[in-house]
Amino acid sequence: MIRKVTERRRFLAAAVNSIQGVVGGTLAVLLGGAVVGPSFLRRRETWLKAAPLDALTEDEPTPVTLRVRRQDGFTQTVERYVVFLVKSGERVTALSSTCTHLGCRVSWDSEAKQLKCPCHGGVYDRTGAVIAGPPPSPLATMTTRVDGDQVFIQA
Amino acid sequence: MEPFFDWLDDRTNFRAARRHLLEEPLPPGTGWWFVTGSLLLFLLGVQLLTGIVLSMYYVPSSESAYDSVRFIMTQVTFGRILRGLHFFGASFIVVAAVVHMLRVVAFASYKKPREVTWMTGVLLLLIILGFALSGYLLPWDQRAYWATTVTINIARSMPIFGEQMAGVLRGGDTLGALTLLRWYSAHVFLLPAALIVFTVAHLYLMRRHGISGPITPVEGASQPFYPAHALKDTIVIAFMFAALLTLAITVRAPLDAIADPSDATYVPRPEWYFLSLFQLLKYFPGRLEPIATMVIPGLVVGLLFLLPFFDRGTERRPSRRRAVMTVSCGGLLVLAVLTSLGLRDTPRTADANQWAPLSLAGYEFAHDVRCETCHQVGGVANPIAETIARRDPEWLVAHVRDPQMIAPDLRPVPSGAMTEGQGRAVVAYMRRVRAGASAPAHTPNQPAITVYGRYCSTCHAIDGEGATVAPDLSHVGAKHDAMWLREWITDPASVQFDATMPPFGERLNEGQMTAIVNYLAARK
Repeated sequence: MIRKVTERRRFLAAAVNSIQGVVGGTLAVLLGGAVVGPSFLRRRETWLKAAPLDALTEDEPTPVTLRVRRQDGFTQTVERYVVFLVKSGERVTALSSTCTHLGCRVSWDSEAKQLKCPCHGGVYDRTGAVIAGPPPSPLATMTTRVDGDQVFIQA
Repeated sequence: MEPFFDWLDDRTNFRAARRHLLEEPLPPGTGWWFVTGSLLLFLLGVQLLTGIVLSMYYVPSSESAYDSVRFIMTQVTFGRILRGLHFFGASFIVVAAVVHMLRVVAFASYKKPREVTWMTGVLLLLIILGFALSGYLLPWDQRAYWATTVTINIARSMPIFGEQMAGVLRGGDTLGALTLLRWYSAHVFLLPAALIVFTVAHLYLMRRHGISGPITPVEGASQPFYPAHALKDTIVIAFMFAALLTLAITVRAPLDAIADPSDATYVPRPEWYFLSLFQLLKYFPGRLEPIATMVIPGLVVGLLFLLPFFDRGTERRPSRRRAVMTVSCGGLLVLAVLTSLGLRDTPRTADANQWAPLSLAGYEFAHDVRCETCHQVGGVANPIAETIARRDPEWLVAHVRDPQMIAPDLRPVPSGAMTEGQGRAVVAYMRRVRAGASAPAHTPNQPAITVYGRYCSTCHAIDGEGATVAPDLSHVGAKHDAMWLREWITDPASVQFDATMPPFGERLNEGQMTAIVNYLAARK
């Protein structure tokens, strides 16, 4: 008799725990999804008009300011950042102006023909490769496309 | 793990606490009627959790509140469902609270020694209604704005301190940013604190006196709460949660157009659980209003609060407590009748995708090369379909008519620019964009729509959009046929000598005239 009662109790307890588990689990997925979800959102990339081809000098990085409209939560912001366009023959490469060391803004030294970072002395050549200083990797490049006489950048 | 739990138990005594919670002795015969309290507790928990997550995305400012709620609805993972759970959960709580209360009344569970338990319950009901009222304003849409305007004006009608009371509720002399902030503060700090305090008190008192059990006591030994009764609670909770979740997934929690204090056409209606009060107001016009806003609700709350002192003695059977049962059922019936009367003349929430001709015309005008030179991807301004227009309508109209003009009315509009009507049409379209409408699939009667947008809309409205200076044209076809309309539009004075409408015979070409006449004649 006592065994039967214990068994019934155990069964009821298992039922309570499993139903509550399902309800709680559903809530946890919904709440957790909303908390974690936006952290994994990839932003949409679009082709932006960067510069006319004839404004670029052969083998000399030309700074171009890009305006990228970005969804910032419920609001929209326009991010402006500088990209170096380098034309070599038919090809145009776009170098990010963000130093790979600690994120300062590099600038083109036209006399030394080098891209220099003002913060910790990082130096890059015109292809973005590290020549001197602490940067661990070359400058990031962005996808470019030449359409007619216009250069487009994917950002 | 066992040694760890032994250690923890030694330091905290948590096993005894757990046993105390789960092994609450219940009177024999405690049945399904006694699950309503647990259900309420669960639903309040859902509100608390969804509320916390919603607050990660919500911005309590009149500038951004609306857009942040729209962001929750469209961008946040499960955001639409969470807002649905929170929104519909409020209704579930009101119903569950009323059912819980009715159960307590029918079982006379409020009698000695549980009078104070009952009184904390009545306070909890008021706190829940406070949540419902304050949560209402937060999305800052038309419904929120106007329903809160009505609420504050009700407070203002209170004798003696009315004006001061309204001032405190508004946080200033107009309903605006400060009002939103203080209602938000009440909704997320003050009321939750009060709710937790009184819920703990309610539960403590419930445990102190034990639950009242069946009306006629059943022979036998008391049963522990866990697991037999806990299973009953759990089953009801699971069903209710499934119902709430289904509702949250299948029905979009409403979000109107953004609050517009200058809009005179909006008909405000409160949420259904306040409709009875709203309806009651209609029967006490003018100076009698405080009877509906203060006296009757005050009496009802007072009566509820003091119920255990009116219905004393040990008798618990409903059949022997005629007065209490009759008054309760009668009260409930009156509440139901008032609510259904209120529901009958509640207008449907406007759907941003139900395009009216003015915003359709605006859509046509806005997709114009002149706009797209700047409004394009990577251009100096956002593409129009993605632009959230935050400026006031007058600024927008001035900008649309002369894009270079930043301050309206400073210099004349250049020639060849859009007309005033076109400007208003584009602004109507921008309102739709902000309200989350997707682009219209196609524009039926496009020539007629553009004629209406350019010329007619500056005086006439159709389907709730357009100026209201001249008669509404929504159903003009039911009154006049195409021939009459053509004569009238060509030269109104030839039909009626004192007509104030200008003639359009020379401004419209034959194609435009035929299009607009046929379009209007078809609007029955």
